[in-house]
Amino acid sequence: MSTQAWHASPPLEYIIDHVNVGLFVVNRDFEVVLWNRFMALHSGKTAEEVVGHNLFDTFPELPQRWLQQKLRSVFLLKNAAFTAWEQRPYLFKFPHNRPITGGVDSMRQNCTFQPITDDSGEVAYVCVSIFDMTDASIYQERLQETKRQLEEISVRDGLTHLFNRRYLEACLYTEFDRVRRYGGRLSVIILDIDHFKYINDTYGHPTGDTVLIHLAEILRNNLRASDIAGRYGGEEFALILPNTDPAGAATLTERIRHAIAEHPARHGDTVVPFSISVGISGLTDAVPEPEALVKNADLALYRAKANGRDSVVRYDEIAADDLSDSQ
Amino acid sequence: MTVSVLVADDSKFARRQLLRTLPEGWDADVRHAKDGQEALDGFRERQPDLLFLDLTMPDVDGFQVLETLSQEFEHYNVIVISADVQPKAVERATELGALAFIKKPVDGEELTNVLGQHGFL
Amino acid sequence: MTVEPLTEDQSDALQELANIAMGRAGKSLSTLLDSFVILSVPRVTVVDVGDVADTVARMANAPEIGTAVRQAFFPTVRGEAITIFGPEGCREIADLMGHEGELGDSQEQELLLDTANILVGAVLNGLGEQMETEFKYTPPSILAVRTPLQQLLNAENLDWTCALLIEVNFSLDERGFTCHMLTLMPENSLDYIRRTLDEMLEDL
Repeated sequence: MSTQAWHASPPLEYIIDHVNVGLFVVNRDFEVVLWNRFMALHSGKTAEEVVGHNLFDTFPELPQRWLQQKLRSVFLLKNAAFTAWEQRPYLFKFPHNRPITGGVDSMRQNCTFQPITDDSGEVAYVCVSIFDMTDASIYQERLQETKRQLEEISVRDGLTHLFNRRYLEACLYTEFDRVRRYGGRLSVIILDIDHFKYINDTYGHPTGDTVLIHLAEILRNNLRASDIAGRYGGEEFALILPNTDPAGAATLTERIRHAIAEHPARHGDTVVPFSISVGISGLTDAVPEPEALVKNADLALYRAKANGRDSVVRYDEIAADDLSDSQ
Repeated sequence: MTVSVLVADDSKFARRQLLRTLPEGWDADVRHAKDGQEALDGFRERQPDLLFLDLTMPDVDGFQVLETLSQEFEHYNVIVISADVQPKAVERATELGALAFIKKPVDGEELTNVLGQHGFL
Repeated sequence: MTVEPLTEDQSDALQELANIAMGRAGKSLSTLLDSFVILSVPRVTVVDVGDVADTVARMANAPEIGTAVRQAFFPTVRGEAITIFGPEGCREIADLMGHEGELGDSQEQELLLDTANILVGAVLNGLGEQMETEFKYTPPSILAVRTPLQQLLNAENLDWTCALLIEVNFSLDERGFTCHMLTLMPENSLDYIRRTLDEMLEDL
């Protein structure tokens, strides 16, 4: 095509062939009537081979039933339709030409399906545009990966801004070592929100999140300077209390439970009262390693749940009970 | 001879539109009803030669009017004028004795043809 | 209500126009899905920005918690179309939409987006036909997932004072499927509608 032939602007066919977008048009019988260069290059099938034939005969690997229904919706309703790579990675499995794959094995595509009406106002053709979204999807993957790595090195839980489990465990080790070396006391509290699944199912997840954030705030407000509070799991929280024995931990627990009772969570106009179950354990000479301290608190928590929830159990009190039972 | 007509539609706009679409020079005396109940009351007070009936009205809708008419009256002339054009709606209206079903917005020519067909002109 | 964007006559005409539009939309949807489709009589109201959340939460048969899909439309009249699904999403009509077999997360999302798109398209087409204009719209995107209705629109940046709200229920009885669609057209985009309504009223 000689460029001297252009007057005001390049011919449309030239533009259609040279845009960096896949363009093809089908009629009501799903026969291809236009197939641009992008499509030819990436599919390996030229316009001569494709035009005039049924799309699904030429490309049997296409998701026929879904695509036909999609095209039908455009023909019948005269509306545009869309697909996005986030839901459907591709319509045509084309190789991509990115130097670094980032784990993406074929071209990621967004598609639009535009109706083309004839003089009678009926939709005679659908023009399908295919946009190469591979770059965007690779950046998205990288972003997710970076987030994951950041979470790895961070010490905070994203939602509640309390410490995360990893940091809690590190602190526990440090405090445990300190007591073993220099003496002193150490207690651990593990608590969780009663019937949290019910709260999520009844009020929705955003409200569940609000309850978590609210509890975290209460914990922060009631801790002393040396106490360490963190989110241990989904609805589980742990407190590491240096220089504190189980009785002291129990006192702190009562303050927290009182605060929860006085100030239920609020999400918009909805008031969400909740309660917690608590397990407390103190470091004694009998505790062999940090994990055991946590395990004891966990056992106590388990007993608190068994007691009907909204209750507090100290491991040293269970141990005493069990001891007296066996005597 | 003057044809007595009753138009039942909850939309004032729709009633006026229908009036505008009636054939030129048609000798008709037109009353209005703004819901199903008024339509039935109007029918009982003085049975019109023809009722133009909308289907989607609040409280007593077009279908209920047709049912009531089929129970209370031996003979009634109803032309349904409606936005709901699915086959099931047409079927149901016809089963309940509607003479014809015209979809909105009403086309003057179609209306004239239907009226002519059923001898109202 | 602080402003009366529409007179009583205009409201009446708009309601009629919306009725006809839904009648048309219902017919095309039932053809596409090969099923009996029920599009309710649309509710046309003018709402203050502060009342939108309440109005949405009080829609007939609205689910407590819903997933919402949004699309913007333009050019002659600008606004947002929001489609609200209950907890089941669209699983009941997956096969009618061309999906086969098990539905993974992506497919469920795609199904929600597709269903919203055809519903919005059908309704806007119907409205456009009656208003003698063509609507274009953006691809659908998910606005909120399993969120209480009261909060759905908090995610939107509502920088208008009042808007025209048209809401409609869409159901396939034999599949037990219902969803809600609402269009919001802020005050400042209503000029074209007013002009069209005035023309319709003048013609009478």
